Amino acid sequence: MKVGLFIPCYINAVYPEVGVASYKLLKSLGIDVDYPLDQTCCGQPMANAGFENESKELAKRFDQLFEQYDYIVGPSASCVVFVRDNYSKFLPKKEHKAHKCTDERIYEICEFIHDIVKPTALPKAVSFPHKVSIQNSCHGVRLMHLSAPSEHTVPYFNKLRNLLSLVKDIEIVEPERIDECCGFGGMFAAEEFSVSAQMGRDKVERHIKTGAEYIVGADSSCMMHQGGIIEREKLPIKTCHVVEILAHGL
Amino acid sequence: MSTKHSKSAEAFQKNKEMAKWHDQTLWLVREKRDRQSKGVPEWELLREMAMQTKLYSNSHLPELLEEFEKNAIANGVHVHWAKDAEEYNEIIYGILKKHNVKKFIKSKSMLSEECELNEHLIEKGIDVVESDLGERIIQLMHKKPSHIVMPAIHIKKEEIGELFVKEMDTEPGNNDQTYLTHAARRNLRQKFIEAEAAMTGANFVVASTGEAVVCTNEGNADMGTSQPKIQITAFGIDKIVPNREALGIFTRLLARSATGQPITTYTAHYQKPRHGGELHFVIVDNGRTEILKDEKHVKTMNCIRCAACMNTCPVYRRSGGYSYTYFIPGPIGINLGMLKGAKKYYDNVSACSLCHSCQDVCPVKVDLADQIYDWRQKLDKFGVASSEKKRMSQGIKFLMERPKLFNFAMSAGHLLNSFPRFMVYNNLNDWGKDRELPKFAKESFNEMWKKNKVK
Amino acid sequence: MSSREQILAAAKQNTLKRYNKPDYTELEKQALTFDNKIEKFCEMMKAVGGQVAVLEEGQNINDVIKAHFPDAKRIATNLKEVTCLGQPQAITCATFHPDDVEKPGELNGTDLAILQGHLGVCENAAVWVKQDMEQRTIFFISEAIVLIVDRNTLVNNMHEAYKKVETGDMGYATFISGPSKTADIEQALVMGAHGARVALAILV
Repeated sequence: MKVGLFIPCYINAVYPEVGVASYKLLKSLGIDVDYPLDQTCCGQPMANAGFENESKELAKRFDQLFEQYDYIVGPSASCVVFVRDNYSKFLPKKEHKAHKCTDERIYEICEFIHDIVKPTALPKAVSFPHKVSIQNSCHGVRLMHLSAPSEHTVPYFNKLRNLLSLVKDIEIVEPERIDECCGFGGMFAAEEFSVSAQMGRDKVERHIKTGAEYIVGADSSCMMHQGGIIEREKLPIKTCHVVEILAHGL
Repeated sequence: MSTKHSKSAEAFQKNKEMAKWHDQTLWLVREKRDRQSKGVPEWELLREMAMQTKLYSNSHLPELLEEFEKNAIANGVHVHWAKDAEEYNEIIYGILKKHNVKKFIKSKSMLSEECELNEHLIEKGIDVVESDLGERIIQLMHKKPSHIVMPAIHIKKEEIGELFVKEMDTEPGNNDQTYLTHAARRNLRQKFIEAEAAMTGANFVVASTGEAVVCTNEGNADMGTSQPKIQITAFGIDKIVPNREALGIFTRLLARSATGQPITTYTAHYQKPRHGGELHFVIVDNGRTEILKDEKHVKTMNCIRCAACMNTCPVYRRSGGYSYTYFIPGPIGINLGMLKGAKKYYDNVSACSLCHSCQDVCPVKVDLADQIYDWRQKLDKFGVASSEKKRMSQGIKFLMERPKLFNFAMSAGHLLNSFPRFMVYNNLNDWGKDRELPKFAKESFNEMWKKNKVK
Repeated sequence: MSSREQILAAAKQNTLKRYNKPDYTELEKQALTFDNKIEKFCEMMKAVGGQVAVLEEGQNINDVIKAHFPDAKRIATNLKEVTCLGQPQAITCATFHPDDVEKPGELNGTDLAILQGHLGVCENAAVWVKQDMEQRTIFFISEAIVLIVDRNTLVNNMHEAYKKVETGDMGYATFISGPSKTADIEQALVMGAHGARVALAILV
């Protein structure tokens, strides 16, 4: 199984450590993982703002970059699900495809480890003696089903919690309003900055109320937004990606 | 980069205490809804059946409406058809005029808001009294509803107390909700008794029985229609359901989704006029048949006006109903407004972070967020897209289609981190007003990989 | 072309895809049911703000009503007798028939109305009441209502209910679930908006 690591643009520029942790984690799980060079953006920011057309060339480029891999795995639920749900309409139908289409091969890294790799333990035991509050991101929950959407009448499940439970000494909690939006939403954060920032403050406040030291999630964009609030207001909580904990000490 | 919605939302957020109260109060309604929906193990199947029933009925309108009409006429009902708001207003005024009605009592109808019926009738000299408590408060304040189920949710009891001192002779300073509600009960009781005709909207109309079904908690629709002998019930063509089996589904979903009750207190079934009286049904199009043509948005016709999408919407809760330019706010209002007039109501399309909670909460599975996404794609074609957002999107495209340039930007990016604060956090930068900007790493992942630093 | 024809023609012409009517069999099979219907109905009646009494062997229904409404003076009913646990019992505590008045407004000031419920729904305490008198306003205008429900008519859910209910010749019926209520002022729940402030269901 050959995995192409998809590093979204803002992770590449702002959170390279999340990329590094993703690589190390996959590798330590015995996976043949490669990073196709010179990746840029999946096209989600323009599409969500209403300019889907501006994403088409990026989709083609993305498709070519990852053509040779069995799986495409990236540490951002929102970007991954954008590719999954939209690329089929951007890309020309391939007639004799050796592989499944890009949108069928792409996984968010936690989803991939949870559903495809299914490890019963981490490759190297990790102790993380901290209380963490899960950021159940909108697209992770409602479009990717990383956890049970609070609106639905379905039994509780949370793939992030399951993965974090492989870590020793960790205490895992979830905030009140378990999967309410943090207010990022791409250009929404600028266009509707007043409501967006209030959503961000409310979200961080509810994470803090759990007594957690860290907000952890599978979407660094939510972390980026909440991180901006935390830094501005000097709030007593930190953010990190789930893979940074799982790859701790690797 | 702003819209009418974002500016009004900013103004709404200025009153922090009220904004917080509004958010929390509506969230409580969402929580009540959750307790109800989770008490029904078959909830998701119920939603699915409701959606399929609506898809069926809205794609068989001619047959079902004719069946409904036939049965209603056989029951002794006068059936009218209104193609638009003007005709709807004229029909209702015509009935009132014929019977020389001066005192008219109404229960809440969003269709009458849509068609601005009250304005029309008042102009003709008819004393129109809204009887739903929230609607009555709004009417006496000369305001519009800010929520379709809880029309006065944005008004504090102190204001209502002051209003009632003037209008209903209550004790000044007594703002107790029970006291005020019972004062309105006494006051409106006389209005019901004096009324010469009563009107309701409808939650559902049933083809197989020719009846209209009206759900209220207050009992105002039934109080109204059991006093004067002239009853008018007007509804959009989208209210039709095939039969009572379908009612079984919708009556299980409506109140649970709307207010977190297992059912409304009253679920009235109007089939025939009272002895010596008249019952008029007014079937209204007013743009609904146009929606049928729109493949992407036809599911808005499923809507049963429960407002669960408003209560769950993180933007609605934090911006209030008046921040939207269409008379129905929230996710469903964004979409219905665009269908009514895209060039007039496009400002509301910004009011969405695409969190998708609305479409997961919707009892009839309207794909509200997907539809908002779709409207955004169309704004440019309508010539109303934000020029800043367009430039930004083109800028991102330009940069991202050029990996070398992007890599260079990333390597230069961390220099930005050391820019003087006044250059980064100014009025031109809406992100920076309330949040710090993300900081570029010294070395991008791409750079680290190239240098073989990722191991 | 009349508006009617225009609307029907537009609906016909604009419909893109015709969907089939869904089959509710699976839903009706999965729908909520309760082992102890009486218990569930009572629980739900209280949850919706109502009161409930289960008539016991040897109890007189008039005594139950009077015990709940000791101060009621104007008591309306169109019921002469009701069957309680298989035995007819006369309604003796009522003071007048709602159709004794000329105009419905004259019923304002009624303390209590005793009404026949034709079926009760356990999932939501809704009771089916149909118009069987001229002045149906009595259902709403009275300060309090008593809904008499035969315990054998209790059904689990609305699917079952709609298979059984009939509207009757007068062409009006309603489900009533508890007392009239509103939360229109700051979401504070208040009983007695326009209809009955108190609703008592008696399971007979």
